Amino acid sequence: MKRVLLSILFLVIASSSVWAQGKTVTGRVTSAEEPEGIPGVNIVIKGSSSGATTDLDGRYSIEVPSNDAVLVFSFIGYKTTEQRVGNRSEINLNFASDLSDLSEVIVTAQGIERDERSLGYAVQSIKGDMVSQKSEPNLLNSLQGKLTGVNIVGSSGAPGASTNINIRGITSFTGSNQPLIVVDGIIFSNDTDNTQNTLFGSQPSNRLNDIAPETIESVNVLKGPAAAVLYGSRASAGAIIITTKSGAGLENKTEVTVNSSVNFQNVYGLPKFQNQYGQGTQNDFNNTSTGSWGPAFGTPGFETVETSFGTTVPYQAFPNNIRDFYQQGKIIQNGVSVASGDRDDNFIVSMNTTMQEGIIPNSSFDRYSVQVGGNKKLNNGVKVSGNVTYVRSESQNTIVGNGGSAFGQITRIPRSYDLVGQPFQDEFGNSLYYNPTQNHPLWSLENEFLRSKVDRVFGNFKVGYDISDWLNVSYRVTADTYVDRRKDVARIGSARTPAGSIGEDMLFRSELNGDLMITASKSNILTEGLDATLLLGQNINQRNFQSLGVFGTDLNVPFFDNVSNASVFTGSGEFSNVRRLLGHYAQLALAYNNYLFLELSGRVDQSSTLPANNNAYFYPSVAASFVLTDALNIESNFLSYAKLRASAATVGRDADPYLLNTFFSTASYGNNVASITFPIGVGGNNIPGFAVGTRLGSDQLTPEFVTSYEVGGNFGLFNNRLSVDLAYFYTQSTNQIFDVAVSNSSGFDTQTTNVGEMVNQGIELELNGTILQAGQFTWDMGLNFTRIRNEVKYIAPGVDQSNIPGNGFVGLTPSIVRGQPYGVLVGNAMQRNDAGELLINPLTGGYLPTIAGQVIANPQPDWVAGLMNTFYFKDFTLGVLVDTRQGGDVYSFGMVDQRNGGALEMTGIDRELPRVLPGVIDMGDGEYMPNNIQVPAQTYWSGLGGLISESGVYDATVWRLREVSLTYSLPRRYLERTPFGEASIGFSGRNLWFFAPGFPGDPETNTQGAGNIQGLDLNGMPNTRNYGVNIRFTL
Amino acid sequence: MKVFNKILYGATFALLVSSCSEFMDINDNPNNPDAVTPELLLPTGLTGAAFANNNELNRFGSTVISVTAGAANSPSAYDVYDIDSDDFGNQWRFELYSGSLIAFEEMIRVSEEVDAKAYSGIGKIMKAYAFALTTDTWGDIPYSEALGGLGNTQPALDSQEDIYKGAEGIQSLFDLVREGIADLGEESSLMPGQDDIVYGGDLDQWRKAGYTLMLKMAITISYREPALATTIINEVLQDGELITSNVDDLNVRFGMAQGSYAPAHEWTNVSTFAGDLIISTRFVNLLQSKNDPRLPLFVTAPTGSYVTIDNGFAGQRPLPQTSWSRFSSYVTGNGAGPVRLVTNFQRAFNLAEAVVRLGVAGDANEYYQEGIRASMSLAGLSASEIDAYFAANADEVNLTGNVDDDMEKIITQKYIAWFGNGVEQWTDWRRTGFPTLAPHQNAGGVDPNQRPLRAQYISQEINRNPNFPNNIFSNVPVWWNE
Repeated sequence: MKRVLLSILFLVIASSSVWAQGKTVTGRVTSAEEPEGIPGVNIVIKGSSSGATTDLDGRYSIEVPSNDAVLVFSFIGYKTTEQRVGNRSEINLNFASDLSDLSEVIVTAQGIERDERSLGYAVQSIKGDMVSQKSEPNLLNSLQGKLTGVNIVGSSGAPGASTNINIRGITSFTGSNQPLIVVDGIIFSNDTDNTQNTLFGSQPSNRLNDIAPETIESVNVLKGPAAAVLYGSRASAGAIIITTKSGAGLENKTEVTVNSSVNFQNVYGLPKFQNQYGQGTQNDFNNTSTGSWGPAFGTPGFETVETSFGTTVPYQAFPNNIRDFYQQGKIIQNGVSVASGDRDDNFIVSMNTTMQEGIIPNSSFDRYSVQVGGNKKLNNGVKVSGNVTYVRSESQNTIVGNGGSAFGQITRIPRSYDLVGQPFQDEFGNSLYYNPTQNHPLWSLENEFLRSKVDRVFGNFKVGYDISDWLNVSYRVTADTYVDRRKDVARIGSARTPAGSIGEDMLFRSELNGDLMITASKSNILTEGLDATLLLGQNINQRNFQSLGVFGTDLNVPFFDNVSNASVFTGSGEFSNVRRLLGHYAQLALAYNNYLFLELSGRVDQSSTLPANNNAYFYPSVAASFVLTDALNIESNFLSYAKLRASAATVGRDADPYLLNTFFSTASYGNNVASITFPIGVGGNNIPGFAVGTRLGSDQLTPEFVTSYEVGGNFGLFNNRLSVDLAYFYTQSTNQIFDVAVSNSSGFDTQTTNVGEMVNQGIELELNGTILQAGQFTWDMGLNFTRIRNEVKYIAPGVDQSNIPGNGFVGLTPSIVRGQPYGVLVGNAMQRNDAGELLINPLTGGYLPTIAGQVIANPQPDWVAGLMNTFYFKDFTLGVLVDTRQGGDVYSFGMVDQRNGGALEMTGIDRELPRVLPGVIDMGDGEYMPNNIQVPAQTYWSGLGGLISESGVYDATVWRLREVSLTYSLPRRYLERTPFGEASIGFSGRNLWFFAPGFPGDPETNTQGAGNIQGLDLNGMPNTRNYGVNIRFTL
Repeated sequence: MKVFNKILYGATFALLVSSCSEFMDINDNPNNPDAVTPELLLPTGLTGAAFANNNELNRFGSTVISVTAGAANSPSAYDVYDIDSDDFGNQWRFELYSGSLIAFEEMIRVSEEVDAKAYSGIGKIMKAYAFALTTDTWGDIPYSEALGGLGNTQPALDSQEDIYKGAEGIQSLFDLVREGIADLGEESSLMPGQDDIVYGGDLDQWRKAGYTLMLKMAITISYREPALATTIINEVLQDGELITSNVDDLNVRFGMAQGSYAPAHEWTNVSTFAGDLIISTRFVNLLQSKNDPRLPLFVTAPTGSYVTIDNGFAGQRPLPQTSWSRFSSYVTGNGAGPVRLVTNFQRAFNLAEAVVRLGVAGDANEYYQEGIRASMSLAGLSASEIDAYFAANADEVNLTGNVDDDMEKIITQKYIAWFGNGVEQWTDWRRTGFPTLAPHQNAGGVDPNQRPLRAQYISQEINRNPNFPNNIFSNVPVWWNE
């Protein structure tokens, strides 16, 4: 956007003449963003009216009266800078950008460009170079730590694994809480389709993964309903507006940009292990034990031991048996784009590939994309533009989850087990593993996987016309469609399905949008200084989904991964839905003397998913902004800029399709004791049977609403060297569309209805400033801080607790609980006395039995913050991002496994000495005595608690060196005789270091992937540390 | 430019107009139907009722009544009288209220709309059967307010007395059956066929089943309401055609392929829970003491001798499991069942009881012998084999004229005949105290000295519907047993 401004301003300013005076000073003005020179910079001699402007290469020449003259360099978006001439005849300026971006043009809802100062709500903008070439192929991950009010949690280091994002908390009980994603005006699906049980399966991608970070020009985050109201129902969880690179702003040049990077990935975040004790239990060797409670290494009589499959091996530690299970991953990314044109006539063609091999064998993520786009202003004044992108994304991942999977086993590897040094299968391909009922993890990697192949096309077409200089009309059509073909293989011998199974799924999604927009702008209406812009719009939306699946078991031919290889077909089916929405919206924006702004918006949506006689709903928003410093003509070096803003908005959200009626489905009875599924074969006849559905539909369903209030301020201090942005928001979700439990004797199980109330409150703080500026060295710092409090105020009459739809373990339920934050885990809690001390069983020295049905963990963090440091020196730029997440819990199966199993380092310390569990013994007379019952180490560590209990809950607090990048841009003088316009080389690294005081590994994990269930580590894959090198040049 | 404007106006107008109706009218579910015809609901209702009788409640009933013994999992808890509110939730929810009962309710509703009287008639008879099973098991239950969907999401409970006898706003189960029988006599727009997996569409047999069900329900309440029971029994004897042959039995038939099995076959021979149940030593001893020729036909002996355990036995179970004595194909039918809900032998024993206890006119001994013969014939014995048994065991097959002795004989023979249907055996024992059963070893539960007299309300209903009391345990008799 800055480039556009640059060129416009240049044209205006370049026409003004340049004076000639005594001494001539020449030089060149550059900046970190514009190392090739900034055109159109205004240079005046302080105290006079004479001045000059820079040319296209940023060069200037100015006559000054004396050495005492002071040159004042000013340009929109940069800090006005003064330089005393002195003896110099050449003054080169490395212009520091004005970090507060006070005059930045922001892309808001529906692509409307607004001056930042006019906005009555928080919008945060990230430039493309902050997310590209950061050793990270998933855009959402590369936004981590850079935004306020936004919670981004990756699920694991598996290639293509999904990432969860919530803006300003969770606002819907069961609807999607992921923000709306808009790419170049295209409503873009970021769905994560879990075709398998999320407790046991592989982690599919969130589909924003189909966008390569290298193609991005900017990312704008619309945080609240007020900002996103024009997008309607679907933006109640906020919106992320992504603009990809285009040929606009190239000033009729043709530019070929090439970028390329190689990154490596290594496993990290593994806990520390003990290496003194081997496989076994109660200090004795046992060759099928999952624990490392055997004798100490070197114990006489245990020089060698016999494995469960009959070989004799030395009894020794294999300190790296877990680490060596992982390989080095690789990410190779290449991109070429050709762009040309100016603001009105331009085109871009770009191609990008990303090829990733994961840190475990047989896992990969490959993405290939081609984009063609352009704009044209026809002679008759009609503007047309279009953009089409094709993406092919392929991923392959192994199975994760408790029990029979590589990652269900990797936490149960005894310290003396030579995991990677011994063959993992016999000559017939059968798994060889110490535990005969499970698979060797390496065997699982070879033979159990999910493959996904996505073909996706998205694009837009827009035509617009200026009917007069104040009236514009445009129509835009956007489409996004993809097919995801998945194959889910568990070969013969797999622990979960010993006879083998193959599933073949086809998922189809498509979305079409048509938007008519009429914009009228008038200045000085009614009174001098009052400008008004009125927007009228109409949106037509259709969304289709279909899934088709075949699932077969009992395979015949080994290694033949085709469903025709199955003998028994147990789950074939089709599911599809379609929904439509018709929206009409209006927005009136008023500006008074460029310091007082008021924006009134309203939208009426009509949804196909609501009862036909009552399917339209209206919701409004109002936002105001007041630039105090301009209104009161404050001229202060301390308070250079002050803006106050406030907004209130409501957004309605429709239901999912087909909730209005009660439906019938193919009948079935029973469970794993005995069951039938219709049609049944009786006496040679196939008898069909249908059952009344267990969910009661409601033809009275109304939309759910999110109402949000926000106040904030934006302040520029010390000549705008430091900018502060503060926001407070309060969001209330009501009328939630929810399946409430009903008495079973009504004949039904749940009833879809409108209930519930949930509140989010939060504070966001953003600080940006230049810490140091000396010569060609600049140190900029940006700090962001977010604190959000969520509370479920009310569910339904007589209902204080309800599970979040999804897969959960019995006894460990992600839940909605009245008076608690959304998504708390309900499970088994330890018994405590009134003082909160743990109660010990006086007979055993262990804890008393746990109590079921208690809230044991809250995955929501207390606060999150990120600190970005950027150092500029000559042609070098160094960025260092540190972020932290304070509080919040993670429930980890893996750590409990490894603690109970005696594998963690802490379990090896003083193992021979007896221990006492922390707690007290109830003396029966109201008195409690500190526990003094000694137990052996194995009893102690396993006594802390097993799976499905409070003892698996850890504090997820973490400090992290998230991202470091160093870029060197070749100075233009070196490039003058080459075909290159610009060239840079960069080094980057991610997840280089972390500190988690409450968790033995990296707590950023989320096995169930993007969605409403968070905070569970159910034997997922660990995270990775990425680092690499990238080059970029233009021709 | 004007062309462009016209196109734009045209397009917008077209969109606005079309949006009014058809554009939004796409919320019809392509994945599930919102209405089905009666013949698609009948098999669902029938198999649901069969599951309610033959699945978990049968594992419970057969065990608590000493026919089987619990070797593992839930049945080993049943064996020591240990049931609570976490038991039988699936039966209440999926087999009864959200299974057979709602299917019959919906079938009756749809049938009445299209005058398919055959279906509404069958539906009313079977709904009465399923409600009777529910109230006999749990006591007071939602009945008149139940199955109302949105109309009543927290139905109140009706007393068992009102359910059987009727009251203001509560149709008695007997009236429900009478209404069903009346429907069967009317012209019907639709006739059942293959979908009727009981009688293949023979309405005469359904009518007989209806009257025989009324007889059973009258006998069930006859200790508590002897006069009403007598009246009803006389009514069905007078104008009713009862089941008088084994081929008239109300049997729900299943199939011999995975996914179509009768429940007792699957949990006896197929599923991973087949190790839960073994035939009780007591049942084998009982039949051996009577020289009963049905024993080898009822109970398997894979090793040539009966491998059983005593009820409540806590020690090592016999190994291997393949040696265990189990329900034979008389019960399982190798998957096909049938699940016997109302039978000819039951009718005969009920009439024998009615003559002995209620003074209904008739020859009790004749009915008693008819019951034994019907059962033996059903078990596969030939007429000559039955005659031979009768000749050799005259004491066993003849009543004495002493009411108590005769009742013990009738119900003990009925108990043997009901082999494989623990629900009916348990109900008869609760009513009459027969057969005389010794306490199980290691008995516990709410009251170690009392076999369960009812099932406890399920915890999910206690959580969801405040009308359910949470303090009625399994040692409290139901109304007809008070």
